[in-house]
Amino acid sequence: MSAEACRISLEAFEGPLDLLLYLIRREELDIREVSVARVADQYLEYVRQAEELDLDVASEYLVMAATLAGIKSRALLPGRGDLQEEQESSAEELLRQLELYKAFREVAEELRDSEATWRNAFPAPGERERWSAESPVRLAGQYTIVDLLEALEELSAEAAPESSETLERPRLTIASCISSISTSLAPGGWVPLGQIVGAGSSRLRLVGFFVAILELVRRGWVSFSQKSPFGELRLRRTGRWSEECSTG
Amino acid sequence: MLDRLTRSIEALLFASDRPLSLQDLCELTGCGPDAAAGALEQLREAFEEIGSSIILAELAGGWRFVTDPSLGDVVSQLFEDRRPGKLSRASIETLAVIAYNQPCTKAAVEAIRGVDCDSAVRSLLERGLVRICGRQETAGRPLTYATTDQFLSSFGLLDLEHLPRRREIDEILASGPPAEESGELFPHEG
Repeated sequence: MSAEACRISLEAFEGPLDLLLYLIRREELDIREVSVARVADQYLEYVRQAEELDLDVASEYLVMAATLAGIKSRALLPGRGDLQEEQESSAEELLRQLELYKAFREVAEELRDSEATWRNAFPAPGERERWSAESPVRLAGQYTIVDLLEALEELSAEAAPESSETLERPRLTIASCISSISTSLAPGGWVPLGQIVGAGSSRLRLVGFFVAILELVRRGWVSFSQKSPFGELRLRRTGRWSEECSTG
Repeated sequence: MLDRLTRSIEALLFASDRPLSLQDLCELTGCGPDAAAGALEQLREAFEEIGSSIILAELAGGWRFVTDPSLGDVVSQLFEDRRPGKLSRASIETLAVIAYNQPCTKAAVEAIRGVDCDSAVRSLLERGLVRICGRQETAGRPLTYATTDQFLSSFGLLDLEHLPRRREIDEILASGPPAEESGELFPHEG
């Protein structure tokens, strides 16, 4: 089989049985005359090619591939009566399945034809409601689980908006932190950072004060000391703060 | 001019929002089945004679007027945005299996088609062509499906006996059940 012939995507088939029927038909054989081994080879080639093309091969195709490979390999083993029997019965079952599917595919085709005709026969007048924008009124017994699911879907789609509260983010500017530091950091002594910020402060407040202190240190208005890594930060107001503040 | 009985039946069929069976027509007009059948035949001939686009059809267990399918392209314009599209091949195959096997489980359909039928069954349910009709009393109590009257009228069928090749398919089905995987969990020995 040429690679080109395999290029037909598995998408074109309604599953493994459909593909098998296609392969059999291409050989112009009746289902009962088919050499399972031969068709199995072609089938496996198809699936292999599909996989190579990086297509997502549905699991049912792989299950069928395994079945075919099993039938074929048992057929190749000579002798063993029990294996022979097993092979025949699984090949037989597969052929039956194919015949059954083929029959349904054919009547499906006939049904499709009659639907194509009758879908263009418009009844008068009641059934028109079927396609009306407004659903027809139905009696209690005429509802199905599908209606329930649809209703549930509609409900959840139009569910009342979740009650919400508007939370105001506390506004904390660096300037306000600096002015707060200026009141708690009296000239002269060393004051621990924790005392300035206040115990149990929010993370936002801590960050705000820390940035404010970095700014003050950059300006040279505050000096700091830390005895050990991660130790307590102690701050002291420098002379420059008062000088520049009063002049600026 | 048509006789009173024929005209009554014509009026009933024209106004009814459901197909009317022969029995319905007898009850509504107070006539016997033979007279009703005769009137129906007369009515059908009358429409045919004038080459009307209205056809008297027996669908889903009853009589009704439908428009001639050959005028579908004209009439369908009225329902253009409301009419569902054509059924996919997967859906129509699934529908066929359910139609001949009903009531039947999704697993039984899958055993015959060899592929997952989830979305096909769902779309058939949505279109009202099949309905859930119960549960099978086997492991997992799977839902069973059956076709609806809408299926019959959409496919121009009088009843399920008139499915194409009904006898033949029944024989194939009878010659051995499809290898359904959802059988009994603990089948009886022997």
